[in-house]
Parts: sequence; structure tokens; C-alpha cells
Amino acid sequence: MNWRILVATVLLVAGGMIELLAVVGLCAMRDLYDRMHFVGLIGYGALLIAVAIVFRESFSLIGDKALLVGVVLVLTGPVLVHTTMRSMLIRAHGDWRAAIERARKDDSP
Amino acid sequence: MNEWLIAATVLGFALIPCLVLALVSPAPHGLLGLEIAGVLVSTILMLLSEGFHRQPFIDLAVVLAPMALVGSLAFARLMERQL
Repeated sequence: MNWRILVATVLLVAGGMIELLAVVGLCAMRDLYDRMHFVGLIGYGALLIAVAIVFRESFSLIGDKALLVGVVLVLTGPVLVHTTMRSMLIRAHGDWRAAIERARKDDSP
Repeated sequence: MNEWLIAATVLGFALIPCLVLALVSPAPHGLLGLEIAGVLVSTILMLLSEGFHRQPFIDLAVVLAPMALVGSLAFARLMERQL
């Protein structure tokens, strides 16, 4: 077996396992903030699968674009988690900036 | 059926829990299901492109990845209010 095919298969299985782990974690956790961890994890599975495609196809049209998709998913994952977490905190506890403004007014002489 | 298509099929079944979560759970939990499903579908399109050796599928994945992000960000910002 060609070593590139072997590496691509290993990366494909690893990426698929990470994605399945993220879905299982999403279902297994009960708290919203626990579940958010797996949104950040799943992008790495996509990146591994994209690298597997690059190993198989080399830097062809499919390989380049797959790598682009994988990198985009990994880089935007933390942004998505942070924005979702921020929105859910505001939804649960209200906007903290108003509380800071009130405290500043109370402290002013 | 090659290994890429098998992986795409397995990940396709992984979409079912995300769909159930989005339908059954409260809205914030459903948003997480939507975010995970966006990444899963982008990956599935990559795998289908490689499995069928069809280049147009990878363009769909390239478009879907940022669009899923934008959609999820919009939903997250809208959910700051009690919708």
C-alpha cells in the first residue's frame, strides 16, 4: 500500500472519530456551557479530514479548497463559541455594561 | 463504495442527533446543534467531493463553511433577547 494512502486513511479515521466524539459529547452533556466545548472541538476533525484529502490528492484543486475549508472551520470555531457564550450570558443575566455604568455613577462624587 | 463515501455516510448519520437537539431542546441548545451541523455538512461535502472526484462539491463546502458561521453568529446575536 502506498504510504500516502495509509496516512490519508489514518487521518480520515482520526478526523471522523473527533467529529463523532463531538456529536456524542453534544448529546451526552446536559448543561448549555458544557455542550459549547464540543463546538470548538469539531473543527479540528474537519481539519484532519482536509489534511487527509491533501495527502491523497496532493495540492490539486480539491486538495487546496479542502485545506481552505478546514483552516476556516478551525479558525472560526473559537469565534463562534465566544460569541455564542457571550450571547447566552447576556440572555441569562442581562447586559453587564449597564451594570458597570450604574456602578460608575454610584461611585462618582 | 470507497472509504471517503463510507465516512460521509457515517457523518451523515451523525446529523440526526443534531436535528433532534434542534427540534426538541430549548432554543440555545438548538443553536449549538445548528453550529455542529454546519461543520458536519461542510465536512460531508468535502468527503463527497473526494469520494466521487467531483470538483463542484468542494465549492459548495467552501461556500457553506463561512455561510454557516454567519448564520450561527446572526442567530447567537438575536438570541441575546428573549426570543
